[in-house]
Parts: sequence; structure tokens; C-alpha cells
Amino acid sequence: MRIASGGRSDVGQQRGNNEDSFRIVEALDLFAISDGMGGEAHGEIASAMAVETVVKTCMGEESAPQAGSPESQAGWSENTKTLYNAVHFANKKIFDSAETHIEQQGMGATLTAAWINDQKLSVVHVGDSRLYLLRSGALQQLTSDHSLVAEQVRRGILTAAEAEHSEMQSVLLRALGTQPEVDVDADEHILFPRDLLLLCSDGLTRMVTDPEIAGTLQAEPDPARAADRLVALANENGGADNVTVIVIRMEAEDKGWFSWLRRGAQKNAGGGNGSAGGL
Amino acid sequence: MAKLTLMFEEKTVKEVPVGARPVGIGRSPDNDLPVDNLAVSNYHARVYVEGGRLVVEDLDSLNGTFVNDLRVERATLHDGDSIHIGKHHIKVDATGDAPVPYDAGRKASAPRINETMVLDTKVRREMLQQAAAMGERTQFASGRLKVPTLVVLGGRTDRKEYPLNSKLTVIGKSNLATVQLRGWFKPKMAAQINQRDDGFYVGAGSKVPTVNGTPVTGQVQLKDGDVVAVCGVRLNFIFRD
Repeated sequence: MRIASGGRSDVGQQRGNNEDSFRIVEALDLFAISDGMGGEAHGEIASAMAVETVVKTCMGEESAPQAGSPESQAGWSENTKTLYNAVHFANKKIFDSAETHIEQQGMGATLTAAWINDQKLSVVHVGDSRLYLLRSGALQQLTSDHSLVAEQVRRGILTAAEAEHSEMQSVLLRALGTQPEVDVDADEHILFPRDLLLLCSDGLTRMVTDPEIAGTLQAEPDPARAADRLVALANENGGADNVTVIVIRMEAEDKGWFSWLRRGAQKNAGGGNGSAGGL
Repeated sequence: MAKLTLMFEEKTVKEVPVGARPVGIGRSPDNDLPVDNLAVSNYHARVYVEGGRLVVEDLDSLNGTFVNDLRVERATLHDGDSIHIGKHHIKVDATGDAPVPYDAGRKASAPRINETMVLDTKVRREMLQQAAAMGERTQFASGRLKVPTLVVLGGRTDRKEYPLNSKLTVIGKSNLATVQLRGWFKPKMAAQINQRDDGFYVGAGSKVPTVNGTPVTGQVQLKDGDVVAVCGVRLNFIFRD
């Protein structure tokens, strides 16, 4: 599958600095997003370390130690294993840094990363940054938030509507760098042509509703422009927090008998000079 | 600290605290709570603290362990629960574990509430424990090694049985599908099953599967014995010994 993507990060309307980080590695079809926390500039340090570690590990520039037992990863794809180990590694790095630099104490970060290998998507996730899949017009959230209100909704203590107005929305149950060990969610999915993926920080999802997100993604086919419009929408609605968005679009390869016929027709029309066109 | 009280016909037989070590319950006299009754196995059950919660585990006893009249292999205990073993019952007193107030354990500078913060493990555990006490009763599968398996009950597939040993199991015609659907007009991905830390979840592909006849919305966790149906194929989700 061909993949087109675009990303955008913005400080928002009310904060003085942007603590979000994101990276798109087109060569690997790897996408990572992180929302940092902690006073002064330390949220930025944490989120940058999170994204950097994951990217470098997946590129093979750093090697993350095996996290957990190999048996617990039986049946996982190689990419999922690498991502999973990378996130544990990032947790350790941020935690160690906060331990050794007293002024960094309390810093932490969320992390959501997606790595696409042909049709297979590997996802790792800690915190409340989200991954959405837009398929056939329906927007599904593929990650579950590690926040107190989300947990309360799962346990039936709060309704989804109550959760949206809760004052506790910022309370996370898991984040990188706050504990020596962290639980990491890892998941795999199959992707199809015309699927759209959206990675975003909570600065988007608290300001823009799911139907607005779905509508914007469907109205704007160019991923970079779609990302810009989502960020603009969050700012129009108040922009209370930093907003970071990555949009990824799956596109069909030109192959199969139908496009083969079409290419053949193009070839004939072009006088048989041997160039197949397409691709 | 939680306390267990062994009772026989409303009379207290023995009281023990649950500390770091598990409390053994059974007919053999070397148990912490010996129960002198032929209906009770030598090493019948044990109670211990796990992740801040009190857990009872049946040790493959002949006649079973019951919590509030529900037979359990393993279950979380709450204050006021009653464990039945043979003709005896054990009262659970967990009031000693007073819930920790919400702001305890946090560093001196209280964070502003609109700023993202993380609960440290202890507070998180306590809060989840409180949440859990509000109605959830977990029952876990026993420690025996069991293989989660999809058994084909009906419909055309490439095999009759599929052990679920991948993180992702796809049902459909795609060459990536584990459960390969046969026949015309079958979708590439009819449905998917994701393995997570806490179990298996079925979700929609280009068709909406049903679990025990109910259409799936979002993702549904599969329980032993559930029947998943999609595209004319019926699959029984079971744990094989």
C-alpha cells in the first residue's frame, strides 16, 4: 500500500510553550506522538525523549533491552516487539533523567506510536494521546485512554457525557517517566486502502468532537492540509492546550487485473513505446 | 489488615489476619485455618493479598469454594463477603484496609487540576480498588495452562479449529487472515480478534460480527464458551486444556 501523511503541532491559544512532540519517519512508515508534562520546560524534554527513543530504536540506531519475557511476546510481529521494547526503554530514560536532574522531577510524557508494515499496523500506547481509524465513514478509537475518567467510564461509574465535563480529565493513570516500570498497551490491526489514521494529543480531542474530526478528515483528502485544519479547529474552539495531529492515508497500489488492463490500454494508446505509466 | 473469621453455625471457630503470607484453608492441621470436615479437601483454598486486593483461590478442591454462594476458582474479596467451604463459612473483614484519601501520597505542591498529572502507583491502586469495590467482581481462569481456541461450528472455512496464538487474528478472505473464509463474495476482513493483556477482544471488520447473537459495538471481550458469528460462519471461543 502507498502511504501519504502529514503532521502539525501548535502551542494552542492559552499555553506559553508547546510540550508536545511528534515525528513522521516516511522511510519506515513510522509515526509517533507524545504529550509532555512537568513544569518549566521539562514536559518538552520528556516528550522529545519519548519520541526520539522510539524512532531511534525502530531505525536500529539504538537497541532497546528486551522488555518482559520472550514468551509473553509470542505471536507478535517483529515491529510490535521492537515498538514495545522501545517504549519501555523510553520510560527508563525519562525516569533516569528525572532522577539524576532534580529540577526535572515530576516530568513525564504520553506516547502513541503507529508503525505500518505493508497491511499490518503495530500500535503501542501509554497515556491519553489517541489513535483513530476512519474506515468507511466510521471513526473508531483504536487506543483506550489511560486516564482516571476513562477508567471510570469503563467501570460504569461515569457515563461518557459525565466524563467530558469531569474536572479530573487531566489525571493520568499511566505515563512514561514517572515510575521505573510502566505497562504498555500493544496492539495489531490490518489496514486497507482508503483507511485513514489519526494520531492526536488530548489538545485536539478536548476541543473538537468526534463527528467534527470525522467530517474534517473526509472533506480534506490531503493529509497535511487535513492536519492543519484540525489544529485550526481546536484553536477556534478555544485551544486550551497544545494540539498535535498526524494524519495518515492508505492508498491502493496500482496492481491487480483491472489496473493491469488499464495500463495495457494506456500503453497501446501511447504507441507501444514500452513505458507502462501508472505507478 | 484484613481479617478472616472461620464460623460454624454462627459460632466463631478461629480468627486470622491476612498478612504478607497466604492464609491456607483445608482439612490438614497445618493449614492456618484448619477446617475439620470430610467435605473439605486437605489443602482446599487460600486467601492472599494481590495488588492491594484480597483474593481467594480454590486449590482444585473436590467440593469447591463458594463466595456469597457463587462457586469460584479465583475471586476478589470485599468487606462483608462470606466464603463457604463445606459446612463452614469464613467471614471477610477488610475494614482494616481503610481507603486512602484521594490526595494522599502526592508530593507537597498540589498540581493544578487542569495540568496533566500522573497518579503514583499506590494512589492509583487505591482509587482503582475503590472503583472495583463499587460493583465489579472478577473471576479469573484457573492457573492451568489452557489454549484459547476458535472451534468452527458452521460455515465454510479452511480448518475446523484455530488456536489463537497471534496478537491479531483476522477472519476473512485476506491472505493475512488466520481464519480463511471460503466461498464467493466474502470480505477480505470480516472481523478481527485482538489479544490484549487481559484477554481477547472481537471487533468489526467490513461486517459486524455477533457474539451470542448480539451485534458487536466497538470491541467486546470474549468469554469462555462465547459464539462469534460473521458472514455465515459460527465460531465457538473456548479454552482448551
